[in-house]
Amino acid sequence: MTLPPLGLILHRAFAALTHRSKPSATAAMEQTRYRLMVTAAVVTTVFSAIGVKLVIATLFSHGGEPRQHHALELDSTTTNRADIIDRNGNLLATSLVTQSLYADPKLISRPDEAARKLVSALPELDYKEVYGKLSGEKRFVWLKRNLTPKQQYAVHRLGIPGMSFEREERRFYPAGNLTSHIVGFTGVDNNGLAGLEQGFSKKLNEDPATPLQLSIDLRLQHVLRKELIATIQEFRAIGAAGIVFDVRTGEVMAMTSLPDFDPQDPTGLNPETLFNRATLGVYEMGSTFKIFNSALALDSGKIRVTDTFDAAHPIKIGRFTINDYHNLRRALTVAEVFQHSSNLGSVRMAQVVGIAAQRAFMAKMGFTRPTALELPESGWPLVPNPWREVNSMTISFGHGISVSPMHTVAAAASVINGGVFHPPTILRRQPGAPIPGEQVVSRQTSDMMRRMFRFVVTEGTGKSAGVKGYVVGGKTGTADKQKGRHYQKNSRMSSFLGAFPMHDPRYIVYVLIDEPQATAKTYGYATGGWVAAPAVGRIIKQIGPLLDVPTVDESAPEILSATYLNAAGSTNWAQQPPNTPTAAAPNPPKGSTVASVPAPAKTR
Amino acid sequence: MKGKTWLFWGGLIAAAGAVLFQTSYDVQDLEEKLAGLNRKIVTEQESIQVLRAEWSYLNDPAKLEELARAHLALQPTEARQFVALDSLPMRPAQAPDAVAAPAPLPGRGVNPALPASVVPVAASAPPVSGAATMATARLPAPAQPTQTVSAARVPAPAPKLSMDKALEKTPVIVPAALPVAPTVKTAPIKPTTLIPAAAKAPPAPPVAPAAAPATSAPAPQPVPAALPPGKMAPNAPIPPLNRPTDIANRPVPPTPSAAATAAKAQQPKATDSLGMLVARLGANR
Repeated sequence: MTLPPLGLILHRAFAALTHRSKPSATAAMEQTRYRLMVTAAVVTTVFSAIGVKLVIATLFSHGGEPRQHHALELDSTTTNRADIIDRNGNLLATSLVTQSLYADPKLISRPDEAARKLVSALPELDYKEVYGKLSGEKRFVWLKRNLTPKQQYAVHRLGIPGMSFEREERRFYPAGNLTSHIVGFTGVDNNGLAGLEQGFSKKLNEDPATPLQLSIDLRLQHVLRKELIATIQEFRAIGAAGIVFDVRTGEVMAMTSLPDFDPQDPTGLNPETLFNRATLGVYEMGSTFKIFNSALALDSGKIRVTDTFDAAHPIKIGRFTINDYHNLRRALTVAEVFQHSSNLGSVRMAQVVGIAAQRAFMAKMGFTRPTALELPESGWPLVPNPWREVNSMTISFGHGISVSPMHTVAAAASVINGGVFHPPTILRRQPGAPIPGEQVVSRQTSDMMRRMFRFVVTEGTGKSAGVKGYVVGGKTGTADKQKGRHYQKNSRMSSFLGAFPMHDPRYIVYVLIDEPQATAKTYGYATGGWVAAPAVGRIIKQIGPLLDVPTVDESAPEILSATYLNAAGSTNWAQQPPNTPTAAAPNPPKGSTVASVPAPAKTR
Repeated sequence: MKGKTWLFWGGLIAAAGAVLFQTSYDVQDLEEKLAGLNRKIVTEQESIQVLRAEWSYLNDPAKLEELARAHLALQPTEARQFVALDSLPMRPAQAPDAVAAPAPLPGRGVNPALPASVVPVAASAPPVSGAATMATARLPAPAQPTQTVSAARVPAPAPKLSMDKALEKTPVIVPAALPVAPTVKTAPIKPTTLIPAAAKAPPAPPVAPAAAPATSAPAPQPVPAALPPGKMAPNAPIPPLNRPTDIANRPVPPTPSAAATAAKAQQPKATDSLGMLVARLGANR
């Protein structure tokens, strides 16, 4: 405001000094007006800019400065890692907030006294170690991670300056050992180191509000684990694996590998226990592979269930001789080959089908690559390369190819569920979502395989797996273990792959026992039919009600018409011939009789 | 004049300033309150998380099985305990009251709405309280037009001895609790519940044939909770439940065999569950 007058004054002084004439006076007036105009314009611009900014700041900025606090979201969590829950919503893994104690040694004037006090409050700490830390030159040392509230209170009470707490999270596994191989565990900084914690580590951290829901059912898991433990104890085995599998969806309902570990303290134990036999371990499956050999034979169209094969004469190839565990010394039908688990019959069936077809079929069944299961512990199968005639022969009865139990179960599910292979999953499938699947064998083959499964339990090697009301079917398997380059006679893997109800299969229960020792009760046998089949029977008995499987009368006509098969390969149950006792049919009281659910009167 | 203008503008500015300050402090207050609430919510969420973890920990199936074996007389359900609903025979239609009953049922308008599973329970509840005396004592109370009908019918259910026997140990649940409406509603239901449970209870004659399957092969429904013979037991298991729920008793199970005690040693007691949880938490270093 003072500028124009000042300019005027200066101008006048300047004009007075130069003694201009009249025309110069008018010119000066012009100039003055011009300057005034410019000045006014500048001032107007500035003030209007301020005005506009004022209006924007007051009217259009919705309350001025950004707010300091915001109300919490409704579904938010306080933790940085999502929970893992089972299919019924039970917690399997969760994050709890704990406090960790650290110190700034620079601020601690008397480290010896501070260390003594601290050790008195936290007896598990070592005085020398704490003293060393506190008298060091660093500005930050961890003293103890993940204190409980009580411990935190005790340290607070000491009132040592220079010690502070840091909020941290700690992974906690309420189910403990029960799901240890599935859920896995995390390290001290909550990064997944095994199991799903590792496989889904990124997802769990990115979306902490939505829990990861598994297809596992904790109750089934418990039943499975309990029975496996009982079986291991009875037969003094070194390990076991078990799977309960939904054949219609490909969901894994329960999966156990023994020995297992405590996910809270995974490092303190034998590293053996971290090994997941159900998915990572690959084994020669033995006779359970005859499921696939038979399915291949029937599906090829070259072999019918009534065809007979010589099972009397051992087969020699190269330096090997293939023989049967119990040689029946006669020709067997396909049904009998399956019933008695005859190696010779299986080899002859594979020979009819041919090597190329066998190889293609095994690839279709998923035996040449790891399963689709989401666990990072997925074993690569050991497949012979090249696939020679001798390999083809041994594969027909389950030797010479090593796959994981999960491979076997997923493939067996496709054989009995109508021929559709569903990739196995451990995550719960959303109801209504399409289930991925691929037709691998025909419906007719699948139907016949169901009958053969049932036949093994009614009159074959798997009698002790039968459970009244649940129409169990299955196949036993016993494989000698290979140590070095030779097969061991007395260390074997005994397994049983059971399914129920066979007229409309819904679930597979698979049990594999590693190196069972025969007991007096089993008359010196430690084969699949004596060791694993009774366990499967007990498991089905307990999980049937939990899975809401309706019980049926096994001799009802509609059940028989769906499951009947006799040794001659006839499916006509109505004109069932009088029982022709075969030499190998063992007496009913066989197998493990361990009572995992004792009567109330008995003490365990 | 000039002074007044100054005064006016000055006053306006002062007032605006005062209001502004007041608002600003209010906002600050609210912000603090919000921050406090947020902190509280976080604390609550954290403790909820801890409680959920502890709940799951204590609900470990292995522990539950141990406890159930120690304290309950129950066994795992077996296949033979399940019977398909349609494999059950319908109740023979002989008793006149049973025939008469279905008629008033739809007229009520209330009963059809009840789900099938609820009906037997609802129907059986009044007999519990009732027995013979209660039924007569209660009936005069509801002065309903249909009272004559129900009164005529009630004596028929009264002699259901098997049911009463089963219910003797669960004395009187209801008398005062049951208002007028339930009595009116339930009286006609009793005979009409053709659902397995009631089918064998009410009339005396059918008891014999129905009781046999009840003992040998119970559970007409696939749902274990609806087992008819023991139907009352889950409904009112007051005496047996008192004992195990008493926390003081729990650490000392009645049958501590050698194996059980060995297993018990690692099992957390109900009282120190949090301590156990905490110990597990702190176990890792």
